[in-house]
Amino acid sequence: MTDCGCEKAKAELEEYLHRELSDEDFRDVTEHLENCEDCTNEHTVGLTITQKMQQACQEKAPDELRAAILAKLDGVGV
Amino acid sequence: MPTALLEKPRDLELVAIHVELDSSAMTDTQPDAGSKPDPALLRALFEEQAIPFMDQLYAAAMRMTRNPADAGDLVQETFAKAYAAFAQFEQGTNLKAWLYRILTNTFINSYRKNQRSPYQGTIDELEDWQLGSAESLTQGRSTRSAEAEAIDHLPDSDVKEALQSIPEDFRLAVYLADVEGFSYQEIADIMKTPVGTVMSRLHRGRRLLRDLLSEYARERGIVAPEPTGSKK
Repeated sequence: MTDCGCEKAKAELEEYLHRELSDEDFRDVTEHLENCEDCTNEHTVGLTITQKMQQACQEKAPDELRAAILAKLDGVGV
Repeated sequence: MPTALLEKPRDLELVAIHVELDSSAMTDTQPDAGSKPDPALLRALFEEQAIPFMDQLYAAAMRMTRNPADAGDLVQETFAKAYAAFAQFEQGTNLKAWLYRILTNTFINSYRKNQRSPYQGTIDELEDWQLGSAESLTQGRSTRSAEAEAIDHLPDSDVKEALQSIPEDFRLAVYLADVEGFSYQEIADIMKTPVGTVMSRLHRGRRLLRDLLSEYARERGIVAPEPTGSKK
């Protein structure tokens, strides 16, 4: 396998996705993704998983819970 | 708490809050409260700033406890503790991270011990093959675009089920990073582990999640068209 930057990019895709890379590494990976279909697809899988989780994990607390919490605060000393 | 200080030397503030919480959160008195804030003001501030996180905390509690009754109890307990300690919360610092820290501590201390499975606690030391992860199999796959499309078509219930199926420490790290958008350092503070452990849990958790989601997609017969035409 020739070193076309794939190895570095793949290793950093997760941190790239989570915006944990330094500015320099972020630029390197962005640049690599523009020219590499395989890494772009890999990144798309990661991004899709994150988006699906965000979508699936939406919840609204039951109204009774809100009322119960506010009532409970009355009994808590501050 | 010398160990806590050793682990997180850059996070003295949160440690201080945490120590305060551990020692006095459940008591109704506050020693040395020389300039005690007006309770009515504190209550109004709490309702304005903390209560709006209820839906988010409930969603996290649902993923932690896996059922609405326990999730409700956990959120109630979290808000009660947060309110009791709210006078010590330093305005202008990250309230969301502070609340998640209380939520996570409360979950680990009161709920997790009841449902802890035998391997918990050593999960970070398990090898990938022991976790059933198939990194090598998936890595050589030439159909990543098809994989993303298939995962995208899965119903929310499958995504939640997959998330429930992965080991708890992995699930928490993944949830905090991907759903809540906390930084690795914030997750390390919330989960009280080094950043390296957070990264490892995230990586392995997401790997397991991906394998499960791809498996669900196959079971449901969701197979995106492959550009290579190698479809059966």
